[in-house]
Amino acid sequence: MIKKTANFFTYLFIFTAFVACSDDDDNGPDLIAVESSTATNVPAPQTGGQGEPVGGPFTKFSFSTGAVTTSDTEWDIAFRGTSIAVNGGVVTGTDDEPERNGDAGVSIESGTFADITTAEGLTFAQDADGAFAIASGSDNGWYNYNPATFTITPIPGKILVFRTHDGKYAKVEILSYYKDAPAEIDAMSDEARYYTFNYVYNPNEGETSLTIN
Amino acid sequence: MNLNKCRLSLFLSLIACLHVIGQENSPSQKDSILTENLDEVVVTATRTIRQLSSLPLPVTLIAKKQLQQTGFTRLNEILNEQTGIIMTPDATIGGGEGVQIQGIASDYVLVLIDGVPVVGRSSGNLDLSRFAIGNIKQVEVVKGPSSSLFGSEALGGVINIITEKPSSEKINGQVSHRMASFNNQNTNLTINQKWKKLGYSLFADRLSTDGYDLAPTQEGQTINPFYNYTLNGRLYVDVSDTWNVFASGRYFYQEFDVAPSTSEEQDLNLHLKVNHKATSKSQLQYELYYTNYVTDEKSIDPIDNELLIANDFDQRLFRPEIRFNHTFSPQNILTIGAGYNFEHLERSLFAGDVTFESQYLYSQFDFKPLDDFNIIIGARFDNHSEYHSQLSPKISGRYDLSPNFAIKGSVGSGFKAPDFRQLYLDFTNAAGGGYSVFGKEVEQAGIERLQENDEIATLQVDASELGEPLDAESSIGYNLGFVVKKGKLSTELNFFRNDFKNLIDTRILASKTNGQNVFGYINRDRVYTQGLEMDIRYKPWKDLNLSAGYQLLYAYDKDKREAVKNGEVFARDPETLQTVRLSTSDYFGLENRSRHTLNAKIFYEVPEWDANANIRVTYRSQFGLTDQNGNDLLDVYDGTFAKGYALVNLTFGKTFFEHYQLQLGANNLLDFKGNNPLATQDNEVLLNPGIQLFTKINIQF
Repeated sequence: MIKKTANFFTYLFIFTAFVACSDDDDNGPDLIAVESSTATNVPAPQTGGQGEPVGGPFTKFSFSTGAVTTSDTEWDIAFRGTSIAVNGGVVTGTDDEPERNGDAGVSIESGTFADITTAEGLTFAQDADGAFAIASGSDNGWYNYNPATFTITPIPGKILVFRTHDGKYAKVEILSYYKDAPAEIDAMSDEARYYTFNYVYNPNEGETSLTIN
Repeated sequence: MNLNKCRLSLFLSLIACLHVIGQENSPSQKDSILTENLDEVVVTATRTIRQLSSLPLPVTLIAKKQLQQTGFTRLNEILNEQTGIIMTPDATIGGGEGVQIQGIASDYVLVLIDGVPVVGRSSGNLDLSRFAIGNIKQVEVVKGPSSSLFGSEALGGVINIITEKPSSEKINGQVSHRMASFNNQNTNLTINQKWKKLGYSLFADRLSTDGYDLAPTQEGQTINPFYNYTLNGRLYVDVSDTWNVFASGRYFYQEFDVAPSTSEEQDLNLHLKVNHKATSKSQLQYELYYTNYVTDEKSIDPIDNELLIANDFDQRLFRPEIRFNHTFSPQNILTIGAGYNFEHLERSLFAGDVTFESQYLYSQFDFKPLDDFNIIIGARFDNHSEYHSQLSPKISGRYDLSPNFAIKGSVGSGFKAPDFRQLYLDFTNAAGGGYSVFGKEVEQAGIERLQENDEIATLQVDASELGEPLDAESSIGYNLGFVVKKGKLSTELNFFRNDFKNLIDTRILASKTNGQNVFGYINRDRVYTQGLEMDIRYKPWKDLNLSAGYQLLYAYDKDKREAVKNGEVFARDPETLQTVRLSTSDYFGLENRSRHTLNAKIFYEVPEWDANANIRVTYRSQFGLTDQNGNDLLDVYDGTFAKGYALVNLTFGKTFFEHYQLQLGANNLLDFKGNNPLATQDNEVLLNPGIQLFTKINIQF
């Protein structure tokens, strides 16, 4: 297990290093470079569940800072358990939910991470009364629950394209729901509710491109 | 193949030694076990008596002698050694075992006793270890669809258990006891007599075992201790030259020792058949059949004796049928039949009691337009109270190019009615997190009920789709075979293809506010299985039978294959966890299918010693149990593949003082245990409990 985690980070390092290297200066002078990043172990604790009412604060994340935030307005997406909220639309009605005050939305696309090159022409869904834009439940939204191994894994080929709260674009591939993103998950010992995801964020106003160059 | 060569060669040389010693002696004509005899006849392929070697269909016949010499006591054991027939474990750990024919799962295989169907399936799977084979004349397996004669469920094949008719005027029979590993104790008694116009046959069988455990690190046993009884009485009366009557009653009772919980199973079959030879060329058969299958399961908390789950199941089928045969000439036979099915089910997970009615009519013409050319055409019409009626035609033909070479081919359709569960299940799993499953007929009401209780978060399907009736699942099967016989060698090669459509799958109807889903059923999947089966039989000496069988199988979901081809299916790289696109070669195909299965058998007899020995090897190549990475298909990135394995079974038998037979043997001689790939880390789960030694004593009188 330790070895595999180490492996993963090696890959991650190589990948990030590669991305950093290829990050040349083709962009126009006014544009900020589009970068690929990885968010690791974003905690998403929740209370309740298993038939009990679900509660607890969402962990909010901002693409522009690339970090977890406590701001009530400057956040794009938020995590609690397997639920992912977007800062757009209205509250779904679950307990301890953050107020939606931005214009964020999500479009779930099929492909590899590299396949998704632009947010142009996509339709973005927002949270609504009674339903998250990313539908809850196994095989509905972003994850699959395997009842034989009791594990939650991202559905392969589901790339989440977000419009951020302030109208910029990002694409996300969730890699793991478990702490330190183990390659082989043991539901008994690995700690759940930790998101690790790759993302590409285009910080330029009005730019829909999601490729790095 | 993990064959222990030393041990294997030891046994092989032992058999060889027996032969050398046995050579010295006399000719005595005994029936062969594996090669086809001219007098071998089957009834399942056409519902008339037909010589096996002349049939245009792929049929496997397991004769009594083979049943006896292997020392097996249950139907599943003997089937597993036949070419293209595999007993596959359920994907779930500790789940049941189902038969697979031409890559088609147990749900689509019809099982008959003396031509009438048995009922009582658990999640579509019929447990074949329920059927004791101590009183059986032969087992007939017709591969490919036979719905043109038998109606629903006969898509992959039909397994017909043929009981033995009494023939001797003296009371005769046998009593035997078999002891095997896991404290497996099997006693049975058979009594037969044919006295003038009256014949009867009685059979009683008791089996008990301590069971076994495939997951030693987990609580409880995989197979709990159980005992069961089978009682069967049959009566044959020749009322006159033109009228005869057959009546049979069978009762099976099984109980698992899972105290304080209970688990019981009962199976009753009553069968009455009256034959009337109306003229020398015409014959009428009147048949009444009733069967009742009951399970009673109560799961009780061992600490506070609280009832956790009660799962009761009570299925009944009553069927009158009339058949008419007219023989225009010995090679031209017309068959017409009609019947009525009354089915009834009570189950604790259903909204209420359920009743089905269906009527059917079938006809078949078996004729020879040329001396060496046989054609059988047939069709059946099933009219059902709950789903669209079905017309199932079939045509098959055989051309004997020479006495040594024949070509045979058939095209036929099969169907399977939606089962009770797919229509009427109303189940919410409180213990399993609160998901719900609704059958088609109750899904609309179920969703409305949940909506009223504010349990539905989002409806995932259009509300107008709810409750739209299901269609029967259906298939078309193609078989093309070649038979070559030359002296001591006979070979049979059969190419098959089965195209299935409208297979019923579960789908998500809605997500619930508790984060779980509501599931319903839908006609969706299109799959195919194709491949070839080959049987080679060789009889170098009169007392030695060698045979080998092979099946090559490709089984895929058509839509999933198409999606993979179009680059629409993804997996996650197990190292980087990133999405990768699957290529066609990454899609492994349907679950639980092995590309290659093999069997090889040696049966040897030493008449002057009254002894026999046999060794049988079966092998199946790698197979995958379930999708693991969430893309809903089995691909090379899934870690759920069980490695290929071989099982070796061996039996020695000897007769003493004419009436006493002693058998010694080992099933799974090489003690294969395997690893279930679904086991969680640090928990080993086996595929097979390992070697099972047995000894059996049989007294004939």
